[in-house]
Amino acid sequence: MAFRSNVFEWLRADHYYPDGVLSVVAAEIPMLKRTLLCLTLLSVLIHCNAHSAESEQSSAVLVVENLHSVLINAMDGGEQLGFRGRYDLIAPVISESFDFPTIARIVTASRWSDATETEQKTFLQVFTDLSIATYADNFATRNGERFETLSREAKRGAVIVHTDLVRADGSKVPFKYLLKEYDGHWRIVSVIAQGVSDLSLKRAEYTEVISNDGFDALVATLRAKTQAFGGQ
Amino acid sequence: MNSKHFYSSALTLLLCISALSGCTSTATTDPGDPHEAANRKVYAFNDSLDKNIMTPIAEKYVSATPEPVRNSVTNFFSNVSYLNTIVNDLFQGKIRYFAKDSGRFVVNSTVGLGGLFDPATSLGLPQRNEDLGQTFGVWGAGEGAYLTLPLLGPSSYRDLPAPLMGMALNPLTYLAPVISVPLGAVNAINTRANLLDASRFRDQAALDPYTFVREAWRQQRIYEIYDGNPPGDGFDDFIDDSGDAALLRVY
Repeated sequence: MAFRSNVFEWLRADHYYPDGVLSVVAAEIPMLKRTLLCLTLLSVLIHCNAHSAESEQSSAVLVVENLHSVLINAMDGGEQLGFRGRYDLIAPVISESFDFPTIARIVTASRWSDATETEQKTFLQVFTDLSIATYADNFATRNGERFETLSREAKRGAVIVHTDLVRADGSKVPFKYLLKEYDGHWRIVSVIAQGVSDLSLKRAEYTEVISNDGFDALVATLRAKTQAFGGQ
Repeated sequence: MNSKHFYSSALTLLLCISALSGCTSTATTDPGDPHEAANRKVYAFNDSLDKNIMTPIAEKYVSATPEPVRNSVTNFFSNVSYLNTIVNDLFQGKIRYFAKDSGRFVVNSTVGLGGLFDPATSLGLPQRNEDLGQTFGVWGAGEGAYLTLPLLGPSSYRDLPAPLMGMALNPLTYLAPVISVPLGAVNAINTRANLLDASRFRDQAALDPYTFVREAWRQQRIYEIYDGNPPGDGFDDFIDDSGDAALLRVY
């Protein structure tokens, strides 16, 4: 059998095996070759897909790590920056890192669709302000803390990133982020610390306030909380 | 009928009605909390006791006691109550944990000098937490209904017997009251001190502290029952499978 250095010739060649016992096999070989080629292409495609899934998960991790590094900066800036300084420092990153529209819809549950567009916009703005203010207030000083990214996993179109907050004495507070992708950007939808989900907590509280006192009362309460932080 | 009698009966009836109506006026939005109105009253009572008595004492305790001392106090009380965890490991069929937790108890009681120190953690025997409420949860019991207990705080039908078992398996319970009561007070103050950060966060972040505590407690119980691996991952409610991204966008 002549050696076929050209793989395309090899693929096209149907008749270079002798007749006889092998003729049956020979009839199958072209099919076999094509199947082999298909499988190879498929595995390359899957490999590429796995790579892109890998890179998607990495993008999600980057969002989390970016958030952590700006929080560390805020902590380092601490008292010198003051509340306002920290707020201004972290606001752009927090707005980009979290999917506030989705979170707003989830924490107000069925009441979101009942609200007017103006009410929704107002709520969104007030809620975003409060979230940034909460971070600015809580990440005010650094006592040797650092963040550690542990692992990540894909789950039904979302990515979960596991991290630790490591304190100076070595003790760790584990928490994880859920990220979803919209328009090519990965954004955080929820944070869970030691089994307690920020999103669920807020949803339980906000829906109760809305049922008892109404949507506007909720917005007013959130505004008051934000103002209490910064003394604005 | 004697008119004086009539008016006093009417007044009594009116007072009873107004007292009872306090128990039904708050709309219950959570089906798992049918006793919400009563729970809120107990919560308010606990909260005022906490803010006026426990928190000031705990804060003084923190400023007066160096951290290593407080750590030793925490270690001591955790160790002396560890039999509760060990026994519940067994009830839950967690044999490996039963062995490890027994080992932890022995190591900390001996090498750890009566539980003041915690060499067991660095030997791969970290602290765990099991109780009768978690055991019932592992056996399949749901919460039943949420309860707020006077002084003890959040609980539920399922978790009600848990403190009783905890006390029964704690050697300190069987000491003379002249020793056990002050020790109990120290434990309470030390525990409260350890929770000061958490309570500050709650005060700062919560719109409605009662709901905040109820939800946080519930989620933490599920986390504890499943030893940190709850079914689903807490996100299942929120991951949108409908594919209709438009529903989730505001802009």
